[in-house]
Amino acid sequence: MLGEFEYLLLTATASLGDNAYGAAIREEIESTTGRKCSIGALYTTIDRLEQKGLLKTWMGEATPQRGGRAKRMVRLTPAGVHAAKDFYDSVARISRRASWATQTPRARSAS
Amino acid sequence: MTANSTAANSWLVQLATRLLEPAEREAVLGDLIESGAGARQAALEIISLAVRRQAGLWKNWHPWLAAFGLSFPCTLLLMGFSLSVTQSYERLLGAPPPHGSGWTPPPGLLLLICNVLLLAAWSWTGGFVVGNISRRTLWVSAALSFMPCVFCLERFRIESLSRFCLLLFLPPAIWGVFHGLRIARIRLSAAIILALAMTALTVPAWSSNGPWIPNWALSWPAWYLVATSWRARRDPALAG
Repeated sequence: MLGEFEYLLLTATASLGDNAYGAAIREEIESTTGRKCSIGALYTTIDRLEQKGLLKTWMGEATPQRGGRAKRMVRLTPAGVHAAKDFYDSVARISRRASWATQTPRARSAS
Repeated sequence: MTANSTAANSWLVQLATRLLEPAEREAVLGDLIESGAGARQAALEIISLAVRRQAGLWKNWHPWLAAFGLSFPCTLLLMGFSLSVTQSYERLLGAPPPHGSGWTPPPGLLLLICNVLLLAAWSWTGGFVVGNISRRTLWVSAALSFMPCVFCLERFRIESLSRFCLLLFLPPAIWGVFHGLRIARIRLSAAIILALAMTALTVPAWSSNGPWIPNWALSWPAWYLVATSWRARRDPALAG
């Protein structure tokens, strides 16, 4: 089972497609969740997911807006897609009867 | 050159990036430039990454074994053994020449040769295993080896001997560390010969005076090499 941040990273990577690399993933996570994402957390999690075989990384091209420095490109492996889907299904299943998921007036007033 | 690129080139950031590996340095600096981080924030982010990386390495048992099970105790034992070898050599030099015609080996020469070989073998195998299992945490193992050296050199009080005799073990140990960093493991046959030879050399040393029992502990890195080579032979996936 993935951790929460691992799932966020896999999902951001999937959303970015061929443009998934360190800074872009960080920006995607920060803008979507509103939470700060440190370079340390990002890169150590990328390493861990790569070791688990859920991600593949390689050095990409350098661009002028990066001061001519190369990007570390990231792509999901089939195992990564499977793990993220499993996590999503589990969260969806367990949330089925939760008040914030059902959106009933009673549930909303209770929350 | 943009302001962010200048921040990434500041001495503080450049110093912090030394903590990272070259390929990662490129990617991280590029990301920090792109995200518009200032020099101070960039340095803090890089240090935080380096700390996380080091902390991650210590989740494995290898660095703990190398630092606290090998480097620190073995340095103490090897310094004691280096001193013992130097004193044996000094006694041998001071002994009167044997009477009679022809050259006869002075008493204790064979034991001294055994001990010198044993010192070199213990130091090399210890260094090899430390280098092999520490790798990126080698600096901690080196620091834990350095501390007892400084402590003992400071308190050395034998007038007739140089205090540096305590460090006789250091050249073969450093040589072993370099080999351990470069070679994944030695061949099983070589590991078995080394371990058996070291164990055989320990027997005459044990029969002489001195606290030899703790020194038996110095032979375990040789048997560790045998075990790892044996495992690699059984499971070729580990041989990489």
